[in-house]
Amino acid sequence: MRTGAQRAWEWLIERLIQVAGALAVVFVLLIFVFLVRDALPIFRETTVGELVGGKTWLPTADPPKFGLLPLILGSLYVTLGALVISIPLGVACATFISEVAPRWMRETLKPAVEMLATIPSVIFGFLGLLLVGPWLADRLGLPVGLFAALGSLMLAFMAMPMIVSVSEDAIRSVPRALRENSLALGATRWQTIRRVVLPAARSGIVAAVLLGLGRAIGETMTVLMVTGNAAVIPQGLEGFLRPVRTMTATIAAEMGETAYHTPHYHALFAIGLLLFIITFVTNTIADAVTRRGGRMGR
Amino acid sequence: MRAVIGGLALVMALAVLTPGCGRRERASQTIRQVGSTTVLPLAERWRREFNKVHPEVEIAVSGGGSGTGMKALIAGTAEIANSSRGIKAREVEEAEAAGVNPVEHVLAYDGIAVIVHPSNSLHEMSVDQLSEIFSGGVTNWGEVGAGGMGEIQVVSRDSASGTYEAFKDLVVTLGGTDKTRDYAAAALKQASNQAVLALVSKTEAAIGYVGMGYLDEGVRALKVAPMGGGEGVAATVEKAMSGEYPVSRALYCYTSGEPSGVLKEYLDWMKGAEGQRIVEELGFVPVE
Repeated sequence: MRTGAQRAWEWLIERLIQVAGALAVVFVLLIFVFLVRDALPIFRETTVGELVGGKTWLPTADPPKFGLLPLILGSLYVTLGALVISIPLGVACATFISEVAPRWMRETLKPAVEMLATIPSVIFGFLGLLLVGPWLADRLGLPVGLFAALGSLMLAFMAMPMIVSVSEDAIRSVPRALRENSLALGATRWQTIRRVVLPAARSGIVAAVLLGLGRAIGETMTVLMVTGNAAVIPQGLEGFLRPVRTMTATIAAEMGETAYHTPHYHALFAIGLLLFIITFVTNTIADAVTRRGGRMGR
Repeated sequence: MRAVIGGLALVMALAVLTPGCGRRERASQTIRQVGSTTVLPLAERWRREFNKVHPEVEIAVSGGGSGTGMKALIAGTAEIANSSRGIKAREVEEAEAAGVNPVEHVLAYDGIAVIVHPSNSLHEMSVDQLSEIFSGGVTNWGEVGAGGMGEIQVVSRDSASGTYEAFKDLVVTLGGTDKTRDYAAAALKQASNQAVLALVSKTEAAIGYVGMGYLDEGVRALKVAPMGGGEGVAATVEKAMSGEYPVSRALYCYTSGEPSGVLKEYLDWMKGAEGQRIVEELGFVPVE
C-alpha cells in the first residue's frame, strides 16, 4: 500500500521528467529561432544564390565577399572522406565484435571503442597537427602537413565509436533463428554474416552511418586545427590533399572578433543555420530509418 | 501540462533575472573607449587591469574600427578614440568644425615580422614582393629567387585577428595604395601567432607573419625592404620604434583636448610600467 507522501513524491518526479523532456524540445526550437533571427539580415546584403553559390569568402574585404561555396565543399570533402574511412572500418569492427569475437574479447573491445568517444576533440587536433600531419606530408610528398584528408582521418576516428556502437547493437538484435537457419542450410559463417546478418541489420547500420555523418560534419576544433583553413574550392581527388576551410571552422575562427550586427556577423549565423539544417535533416532521416527497420523486424 | 508551463516560466524568469544582479556599482566617472579592432584586445586588458586598482572608474570598451572611433570622439560619444593610424586631415577639419581638439597619444607599436623556415635561402624581401606573394600573384619560390623550393605555402592569421588587418594594410595593399588586393584564397589561416610559428617552423616552403613579440628560434625573420626599393631592415623592436622597419605602425589613442582628471590618470597608467607590460604581453612593441 502506497502512502500519500510516496504518491506525491512520484507525481513530482513524473512532472520533473516531463519538464525535462519538454525543455529539450523548447531549446531546439529556441536555438532555431535564434539562428534564423540573426541569419536573415544577411539577405539585405546578398541573395541566397550569391551566398550559397558564391566562390569567394573574404568577409573582411572591401566590399566583403560572402561566398559559401568553398566552405560548403570544404565541409563536404572532409566529411565524405571521414565516412569513406570510418564506414568500412566501423561496420567491420561492429561485425567482428558481435559475430566473431569470443565473449571476453567482446567485453573488452566494445568499451574500448566507446572510450574513443571520450577523448576531447582538441586532443585529436593536436595529434593531427603535431604527429600525423607532418608524418603523412613527409610520406606523401606534400608541401604542408595540413589538408582535407588529414581532417577526414581524424574525424573518422571520432565518428567510429558512434558507428561501431550503433551498428553493433543493430547486428546483435538480428534474431538468432535467422543465423541458425542459414547455418543449418549449409552456409558458412562468412556467408551467413554477409548474406543474412548484415542485410537484416541494414537499417540500423544506415542509421549508425548517418549519426556518424552528423558527428563529422558538426565537428569543429579538430578540423580547425588540421585542415589549414584556406577558403579554396577543392578540385577533384587532389582536393583531398590540399587545405580546405570548413563551415564549422569558419564560425569558430571568425565569430570571436566580429562586431555585432554587421553583415559578417549575420553571414556567420547563416552558416550556422545551414549546418543546423544539415544535421537536423540527417538526424531525422536516421531516426526514420531506425523506426522503419524496427517495425520490419517485428 | 500546467506543471510543464509553470516549470518553464520559472526557468525563464531565473534566466532573465540572474544576470545584472550585483554588477552595478556606483561609478563616479565613465570613460568610453571606441575604435580600432587592433587596439581592442589591448584596450580590453587595460580596462580589466586598471579596474583592479580603480574599480570606481567605469570604462566601456568597444571596437568598430579606427574611423568609427574618430567619429565617436568628434561626436562626443567617446572620451578616447583608439586608432591604428594617424588622424587624417579631413578628420582634423571635422573635429575643428565641431569644436574638438584631438590630442594624439602613442601607446604602442605594432611590429610584424615576416617569417620563413630556417632552411630558406632568402634573407630579405621587399614589401612589393611580399604583397605579390600574399595576394597570390607569385606562387612559386623560383619567382622570387629561391628556386627548388617549389610552391609557396602562404600562412596567414584568421580574419578575426588585428595582425591580419595590420599586415593587409601595411603589406598586401601596399600601404593602402592598392585596395583591390587582398589575401590569396589559398592562404592557410591559423588561429594564433603560436600556430603560425609552429606551422612555419615545420614547413620548408612556408612564409608567414607574426607579431614581433612572438619570434623564436624555430623560424627566421626576413629583413624587409620598403616599398619602391631600398635596404632591407631587420625586424627588431628598435627598428620598429624608429619607424625604419616598414611592417610596423604606431597605435594611438586620441582624446578631446589635453586629458585631465581620471582620464589623464588612465592614460598615464597605460603609458606607465603596468600598461606597457600588457603591451608587451600581447605581442606589441612598447613605446619605451
